[in-house]
Amino acid sequence: MSDVVLKNVVKAYGTTPVIHGVDLHIASGEFCVFVGPSGCGKSTLLRMVAGLEGITDGEISIGGVRVNDLPPRERDIAMVFQDYALYPHKTVFENMAFGLRLRKRPDAEIRRSVGDAAQILQIDHLLDRKPGQLSGGQRQRVAMGRAIVRNPRAFLFDEPLSNLDAQLRSEMRVEINKLHKRLRNTVIYVTHDQVEAMTLADKIVVLSAGRIMQVGTPDEIYNRPAAKFVAGFTGSPPMNFMPCTVGEGGGTIILDGDIRLPVPAARRAVCAAHAGRRLEFGIRPEHVFAEAAGNDVAEVPAQVQLVEPLGSDTLGLLRIGPGEITGRFAPEAALATGSAIRAGIAMNKFHLFAPETGDAIRGPGW
Amino acid sequence: MKLAPNRRKTVWIAAAIVAANGFFPALWILFTSFKTEAELLRHPITIVPHDPTLTNYVRVFVDQPILLFLWNSLVVAGLSTALCVFVSALAAYAIVRLRIPGRNLVLSILLAVSMFPLISLMVPLFQTMRTLGWLNTYPALVFPYAVLSMPVCTLVMASFFQDIPNDLENAAMIDGCTRIGALWHVVVPLAAPGVFTAAILAFVNAWDEFLLALTLSSRVTSRTLPVGITLYQGEFAFPWPIISAALIVAIVPVCVLIAIFQERVVSGLTAGGVKG
Ligand SMILES: Nc1ncnc2c1ncn2[C@@H]1O[C@H](COP(=O)(O)OP(=O)(O)OP(=O)(O)O)[C@@H](O)[C@H]1O
Ligand SMILES: [Mg+2]
Repeated sequence: MSDVVLKNVVKAYGTTPVIHGVDLHIASGEFCVFVGPSGCGKSTLLRMVAGLEGITDGEISIGGVRVNDLPPRERDIAMVFQDYALYPHKTVFENMAFGLRLRKRPDAEIRRSVGDAAQILQIDHLLDRKPGQLSGGQRQRVAMGRAIVRNPRAFLFDEPLSNLDAQLRSEMRVEINKLHKRLRNTVIYVTHDQVEAMTLADKIVVLSAGRIMQVGTPDEIYNRPAAKFVAGFTGSPPMNFMPCTVGEGGGTIILDGDIRLPVPAARRAVCAAHAGRRLEFGIRPEHVFAEAAGNDVAEVPAQVQLVEPLGSDTLGLLRIGPGEITGRFAPEAALATGSAIRAGIAMNKFHLFAPETGDAIRGPGW
Repeated sequence: MKLAPNRRKTVWIAAAIVAANGFFPALWILFTSFKTEAELLRHPITIVPHDPTLTNYVRVFVDQPILLFLWNSLVVAGLSTALCVFVSALAAYAIVRLRIPGRNLVLSILLAVSMFPLISLMVPLFQTMRTLGWLNTYPALVFPYAVLSMPVCTLVMASFFQDIPNDLENAAMIDGCTRIGALWHVVVPLAAPGVFTAAILAFVNAWDEFLLALTLSSRVTSRTLPVGITLYQGEFAFPWPIISAALIVAIVPVCVLIAIFQERVVSGLTAGGVKG
């Protein structure tokens, strides 16, 4: 068992609180990703789990053992740092062996463990080098190797790939994924990168200003965001937001400029409860179409402001009434800047948020 | 590092001045140590000895137990350096890494303490050592020397420790070190140039010290070199060549020691290579 449990964890530096009561349960073997804007406390939370930062209040346990007062070395965790933090004066072999040496493991076992890890990570030819003689990607692998030789209860990663170029990053992302499928250790992984979060995570934790905004699978976070903040944080380009009013009986949603969008029957009951209210309407770019065809697609007049071809698809900035929304279209969609089109909005995919709190308003099955 | 030709010239001239300033007296002493007393007093002055002689060196070893003084100096300077570096490393680490309130105040106080005139400590030190019964023993010098060098050693090492990324120690602690373990396994080896610089400072301070040595440890058996060398001086005569030879004997071990350390520091420096 190596689940990680946080109970009402609080962290304050002096009198400045930076983590405000976080509750979280990470199951044994789960890959948990922390995402959130810069300064929201992702690293702080991770370092508290590692034991590198003290806990102001609350409780952290790893594998059922309360670790609040245990130093890092007694928590049986391994960590991969953003800047790798390899020991510059030790060879790659000794970097990886250090943890085992401190635990007084026999030489033969050390050589076998390091050899195995090096083979998995394809760094066996680098074992005699010093970190200064390695490329960024190789250092990254050594840092991972140092973590896996000890076979700890949990791996902690703090933006491990952020120093690599785009190509290497996606390569290493796949490696990390494979490694987790193979080793099945509990992982806590901090990142800024949505693609990493979506592809690696079993569970995503979205943080903002020291609070958890939502915990869920990548699918839940993306498709059923619990708050406007979460919705705006995921997806690239992010979700479009526009102020709206809910019409009588919940049958229509009225955007500014008197643009009326019919609400599908399945969603009317929930909308009816908010009739007449000013809300925030949200729609993802992939649910905006260049033409209005199909079930539950509302037709709106739009003017094409900007076209950005990405190759695999094309982004279009559309003016709808007084507002602007971004749509993601098939590359063959014939869009000309300045032209007027009849755009479509998938009305079985929209989100509603309360403007005061940012909380999502949704019915079951939305 | 590449410098523009003009700047390089300036650097060379500055280096030459510093080197000449340091080397001229040493060279003069070296030449004098090979001259006879007669040649020393001859007019016009000779620079390089005319007929070099080793008699001065023989006298150095025959007239006084200089090997004993050397040994005493080595023990006193070595032990005080070890003690000083050990304590200063811990202090420097604490100042740099632990979130101590009033950190800067501690640093200023350290700097202020290091400016205390030695002479003002003489009487209390003498009293203390007499009470402890340590007069004319090694500890009478080892402890004061170690303590006197601590402020400067702490400052030197603190500035080197500052440059070592925090996460290296964090990595070591996660790998299984205690905080002190991380200090010895990671910080000290990486800050080796700083640690050696501090060690050399402490060693040379102790090796050269005269006033305390004369006051606290004047008996022949525990006498250190600087005090020992004054004994070559007779009541009426001042045998310059012999004293020069004794000085050379005193300087050479330090030079060798520093050269060896320097070698190690430089090789240590180029071997590592922190993440760029
Ligand atoms: N030693 C410290 N003293 C005071 N405040 C701190 C300290 N360390 C971090 N903070 C504050 O705690 C908050 C969270 O920092 P943290 O490093 O956890 O953010 P993060 O989410 O990891 O950001 P990033 O994505 O930029 O790495 C920040 O507002 C930061 O200013
Ligand atoms: Mg961070």
